[in-house]
Amino acid sequence: MTPQAIYISNWQLVFGLVFILAAGIMSMLHSLRLERDLLLGTIRTFVQLFALGYLLNIIFALDRVWWVLILFLFMIFFAAWTIRGRVGEKQITFFFPIFVSMLLSYFLVSYLVTAVLVGAKPWWQPQYFIPLSGMVIGNSMNAIAVSLERFMGELKKQRHEIETMLCLGANYKEASHTMVQSAVRAGMIPSINSMMAVGLVFIPGMMTGQILAGADPLVAIRYQIVVMVMLVGSTAIGSFMVVYLVRRRCFGSADQLLLRPMN
Amino acid sequence: MCKPPNSIIHFDNVSFSYPGDKILFQNLCLGIRSGVFYHVKGPSGAGKSTFLRLIIRLEEPTQGQIFFKGVPLADTHPPHLRRSILYLPQTPVAMDGSVRDHLLLPFTFKANQDLQKPDDIHLTEQLKRFLLDDVRLDDHVQTLSVGQLQRLCFIRGMLLSPSMLLLDEPTSSLDPKSATIVTDHIKTMCKTSGLTTLMVSHGDVRSRSLKYRSLMVADGLVRKISGRKELA
Repeated sequence: MTPQAIYISNWQLVFGLVFILAAGIMSMLHSLRLERDLLLGTIRTFVQLFALGYLLNIIFALDRVWWVLILFLFMIFFAAWTIRGRVGEKQITFFFPIFVSMLLSYFLVSYLVTAVLVGAKPWWQPQYFIPLSGMVIGNSMNAIAVSLERFMGELKKQRHEIETMLCLGANYKEASHTMVQSAVRAGMIPSINSMMAVGLVFIPGMMTGQILAGADPLVAIRYQIVVMVMLVGSTAIGSFMVVYLVRRRCFGSADQLLLRPMN
Repeated sequence: MCKPPNSIIHFDNVSFSYPGDKILFQNLCLGIRSGVFYHVKGPSGAGKSTFLRLIIRLEEPTQGQIFFKGVPLADTHPPHLRRSILYLPQTPVAMDGSVRDHLLLPFTFKANQDLQKPDDIHLTEQLKRFLLDDVRLDDHVQTLSVGQLQRLCFIRGMLLSPSMLLLDEPTSSLDPKSATIVTDHIKTMCKTSGLTTLMVSHGDVRSRSLKYRSLMVADGLVRKISGRKELA
């Protein structure tokens, strides 16, 4: 086994709060009114991560495929829920299509990565499947939220362009083609950019973790490469599927735009 | 009672309201006669634009049905419906590209593949007809004035040979001279080719040479005003 990372004691964790305190003082001095969010964020970080730690311990110990899949399902559910809140569009409901498309595509991506690229046996081995699928979901969640925000924004902003095209005989796909392009691009660009900067500008979180845990950097970079390519693929699939599914809901049966300019 | 004869469009008990808003139209029963020029009037916010938008299905009735040439709109193919009923909104939209691109845009759509794409000679002729002689096909659309753009959008719509025109204040952004040109041209077309026209306008567009009628959109209703009453 590789050597363990140094244990961080409770007191050391509490000491870490000085950083939050510093941020809080800044907020008060400049009346940024972020104190409430800082407090809530700190509490949530502690509670959520401790809960996750214990949960993972239990799931690792149980070592059963069903528990791994249930956790996976929950992660997808919360990701879809977060996207729904972030996009905040009341006129169109899109929770269900996001949930289903994320579930299917990310299961496929995570499976390919653990079973083929990493070659874990069995493919659902919690130590591999949970963190890798978690990264897929977390990153694509951002990509999907960015894509959807952009898409809805463009549809509203370019309402006149879209209706002009519809009135000249375009169907809803033709009329919204450029908005789809711009939305999917917006979702994909961050993961492509991070492929450019990785290793030069930053050491990615997962690799950092492995190195801290004592892994050989040459092993860690291999994992990181797998993760980078996996994220590019999953953000692309996620953005495309979700924008396509949501687009159908933004137009009615007469190919008319349902999104109204208000709210 | 709700089946007027000879109508190209008829509203059968149509009600409409925007989601979460008050009722805009209630139980509309109305026939639009073929080959007639209708001047659509009414206070702002009364639903003149919505009335036109219902006909080309940019809005769908919350209740009732609208018929085009006897066919319920719900059974029509939206792209085909919209190219046979030309709707010109108040503000013309300039897409990126040249005047030629702008005019030929409809011919890039799948539903219009059966139409003959007009050549440059035809396009130039049309530009001249609307007093746009100083506009060349290779000019960028963004360099045109709003008035020129509005005329360009009108020309573009006419390339699809529609059988009906819905014009939402098409001359509001034009100078008086261009406005007269566009209005006169519409009237001529309406007369010679029997094009049914609904035109929202605040100005006086009456003409003796046309089968002219007025529609008043107000208080959730669309009423026909007889010529005599209007003159009184």
